[in-house]
Amino acid sequence: MTETQARPTGVAPRLVGTSVPRKEDLALLTGTARFVDDLRLPGMVHARILRSEVAHARVRSIDTAPALEVPGVLDALAGAELVGKVKPWGDLMQDLLVGDHFPFATDKVLYQGQELAAVVAETKYQAWDGCEAVRVDLDELPAVVDPEEALAPDAPLVQEQIVYEFGEGNVFDRYKVRIGDFGAAEAGAAVVVRQRFATNKQAGAALDPHGCVADYDSFTGVLTLYSSTQSIYMVRDVLADVLQIPRTKVRVVVPDVGAGFGSKAQIFGHEVIASLFSMRLGRPVKLVLSRGEIFRSGTTRNAQVRYAELAMAADGEITGYRDYVVHNTGAMSVWGNQVVHIGTNVGMLPYPIPNIHVDSDIVHTTTAPGGPLRGFGIPQAIWAKEQLVDMAARELGLDPLAVRERNVIDPDEFPFRTPMGHVIDSTSIKQCLQASAEAVDWSAPRAPYEGKGLAVSMKYTSCRHPSLDTDLSAVRLRLETDGTVTIYSSDVSHGQSHATMLAQIVADGIGVGIEKVSLAPPDSMTAPFGLGTYASRGAAVLGTACRLATERLRDKILAIAAHVLEVGPEDLDTGHDRVFVKGLPDSGIYLEIIAATAAYRTHQLPPGFEPTLETVATYDTPTEREGSDGSGNLSVTYSGAAHAAHVRVDPDTGRVTVVDYAMVHDTGTVINPLVVEGQHHGGFAMGLGMALSEDYVYDAQGRQLNASFKDYLAVTAPDVPELTKTAEIPAPSTMIPGGQKGAGESGTGPVPAAIGNAVFDATGVRFTVLPITPQRMLVALREKERQGVETLRYPDDMPDFTGPRRHADWPSPVSAGADLDFDFDWEDDD
Amino acid sequence: MQKVCLTVNGREVSAEIDERTLLLEFVRDVAGLTGTHNGCLEARCGCCVIEVDGDVVKSCNVLAVQVDGAEVTTIEGLAPQRLAPVDHITTQSLAGMYRPLEAVRGTPDDLHPVQAAFHRCHAVQCGFCTPGMVMVLKDYLEENPEPTRDDVRRAIAGNLCRCTGYQHIVDAAMEAAAELRGDPAPEGAAHGATAAADGG
Repeated sequence: MTETQARPTGVAPRLVGTSVPRKEDLALLTGTARFVDDLRLPGMVHARILRSEVAHARVRSIDTAPALEVPGVLDALAGAELVGKVKPWGDLMQDLLVGDHFPFATDKVLYQGQELAAVVAETKYQAWDGCEAVRVDLDELPAVVDPEEALAPDAPLVQEQIVYEFGEGNVFDRYKVRIGDFGAAEAGAAVVVRQRFATNKQAGAALDPHGCVADYDSFTGVLTLYSSTQSIYMVRDVLADVLQIPRTKVRVVVPDVGAGFGSKAQIFGHEVIASLFSMRLGRPVKLVLSRGEIFRSGTTRNAQVRYAELAMAADGEITGYRDYVVHNTGAMSVWGNQVVHIGTNVGMLPYPIPNIHVDSDIVHTTTAPGGPLRGFGIPQAIWAKEQLVDMAARELGLDPLAVRERNVIDPDEFPFRTPMGHVIDSTSIKQCLQASAEAVDWSAPRAPYEGKGLAVSMKYTSCRHPSLDTDLSAVRLRLETDGTVTIYSSDVSHGQSHATMLAQIVADGIGVGIEKVSLAPPDSMTAPFGLGTYASRGAAVLGTACRLATERLRDKILAIAAHVLEVGPEDLDTGHDRVFVKGLPDSGIYLEIIAATAAYRTHQLPPGFEPTLETVATYDTPTEREGSDGSGNLSVTYSGAAHAAHVRVDPDTGRVTVVDYAMVHDTGTVINPLVVEGQHHGGFAMGLGMALSEDYVYDAQGRQLNASFKDYLAVTAPDVPELTKTAEIPAPSTMIPGGQKGAGESGTGPVPAAIGNAVFDATGVRFTVLPITPQRMLVALREKERQGVETLRYPDDMPDFTGPRRHADWPSPVSAGADLDFDFDWEDDD
Repeated sequence: MQKVCLTVNGREVSAEIDERTLLLEFVRDVAGLTGTHNGCLEARCGCCVIEVDGDVVKSCNVLAVQVDGAEVTTIEGLAPQRLAPVDHITTQSLAGMYRPLEAVRGTPDDLHPVQAAFHRCHAVQCGFCTPGMVMVLKDYLEENPEPTRDDVRRAIAGNLCRCTGYQHIVDAAMEAAAELRGDPAPEGAAHGATAAADGG
């Protein structure tokens, strides 16, 4: 379990490092918290979006006029009338905007669930009735669901209007890594294992539905948007750009947000649509999406096909990794293409692999948009790489634990730079690995149909995204005139406990009681500029901004106190809401006196002191942009995760049960151990869903068959094993002043691979697709028995498998021929 | 339109409503109690669970007209301090809404034992599923005072949580069960330290 940090200063016990019960809880527990659907503004009306039932179609006509005849309907919109009036939005690629997003489909529908029209009415029901009255005439086109089929020259073309800088056809973007010389590693290796792996399309499925209330004031011209989002400034800046109004005229306010996991880390069409309606009507407009709409049109984890190869020396040293990734980013994408960049870069950890050769074709299909989801590409990369490690170890007759111990980063000196460019400032990954294996009794004999598996990964702590050259957060603090403190931040807490975690930092820094510290709701009118809450950046990046602002506030407080007490600031300390002379903790001046002096009795301030006690600090991580060879230190520090799974497979039902699971993590200096433990538990559960049950199922026409919690198998309480073996072996970051590392996503990365390795250990079936469902397991076990083999790959060795079974049949990257700057010797390597 | 009258947390609420109005919508939009949440509207996520005449129901799956005349308890009805109007004004009754959270225990004056245990065990992250979880567990523990951890997991199988992995929720339920039984608080009971001892 997490060790409590003991770093005494002053007289009060330090709160950082202790499991302070959360400040957020009371409202959430008693029903007084306000989520976006709970907002009711005077005169508020209700909008609903009509979405496409088909995945791919030419739009013949969309007629909203009949909707206007429906009782209660106030207004209706479709795409044609907005063309040329609102600006498309989308991803930034090398600073160039890709305008693939628009409030409604105009000439073509690209995926099931895309917006066709919208209606606003006095009541929700009237808006529904209005949507039903809209006349839609679509000419359905063939869908393309499979990302590899999307690469075929004769595949239906998804995006027709956009000329991509780095792609053509359905290839949206390309990605490559060239580190060392994989060919040489391959030639010198004792074994090269090769396998095609596919991953699933998982939903974030945050329970609080995406939604917003737009409130336009036609007199001031200010558009206030209350939205369930992870980032107020991304929404504000894009919305202002789309509507072509000044950013000061758009105010984004965020109520309580019921989770996101990456699925709310961008602007969505419904936010633009509600804003347009409010601007047209001059009334507040609420638009909250239904669960089916969120499944069909929200962002999902990017599904990948990875043609992965790993070279290993006879002693178990990993000498090279090569991969061709077909990355499915759905019909459109704001962040989807970044997932393969960062997921692959960081997914090479925790091994300092010297020779890496990766190509990726990032493709469009007529499926729901791909995007960020807890782990951001790392679970996909680890699913392939950590299974290859096991496969290579078995071929060489080595223990998978010993092979990992041999390879994980364990340098004599920090910081340590890997060939990929990661700068590892500290890590305990080797100890985490050993502890996790020990926790599941790794070397004990296995019962029939039981198996154990290991996987290790490292997760970036925030990130300099390739498309954005920034990685910053900011905090403003104000010591109020009664000695309480208000924290202003634009990074939305949606389950991460910012109000508690930041208050712990502030309380320690200026000696104020934690009950006197409050976090203001995120509001773009008042909060300092920051990027938002995603990428496990809260504790480390926002926390560092908070620490810097607290230090500045402390300096100002001590300057006033030193002036009043006629001592030097270095002789003073803080604690129990007071500033006091060191050694005399029972004396001193209350913070409220100092704060009141700074605001109301300013002639008593030290000469030249700028009145009031308000400080702001911005922290931008010392990270690098991605290099042209794919290398770079994209993250300020990396949190380690070593997982050990113990599974049991029921040969009669095919059900995989995780009977025991150990997670040993290095999250650096932990601010609130219970909160971090909760993050790891949740990260595991999301990984468990990816491993065993969650996936988007499409029919051949691109219609999602499971856009409901009835059919989409989200993880339930009985699915989860007792997670009593969750532990920390902290290696505090040396880059982050407080030593923190990101906690939110490191619990997800290794889970599918650890379970996949355990399933192979239990059954001899190597799953190369996700999820490992009971149906798949059952047919795999029967086929293995029928063939009379010791091991079997599912689905590669199934009779009905149509993909390439052997390395010789693997496809070449479409991108290989496109970039003449590089010597692609893919064909020659076979 | 049809007139429906319900007793919600002891208060009579009646209104002329569209027949399509769900019980969930009646509670949220007519009674004005938004602690009961709409997470899926298909009776799968459990965020909308309330008590109707003593039984828990997923209120998104019931029309308000079906339960005309019923007694309804919502999450807002579990913590009496939120229900009672301040009839005797003191500095404490007005300003004392905030108490140090460490002091919040399951007593009739502040939180229900299930709510208090959720707080102590960090069973709340984003908090959206929390009201439904608490309502289900309150009802379950009243009828099943000595559950195992597996029993608790099955009891909340109809409630989704995407944040916590359920571990701390089960911890909280076990602590609340002990408190409701009147067991003496074990050493270091808070923060889920009992999880290992309870097995499961």
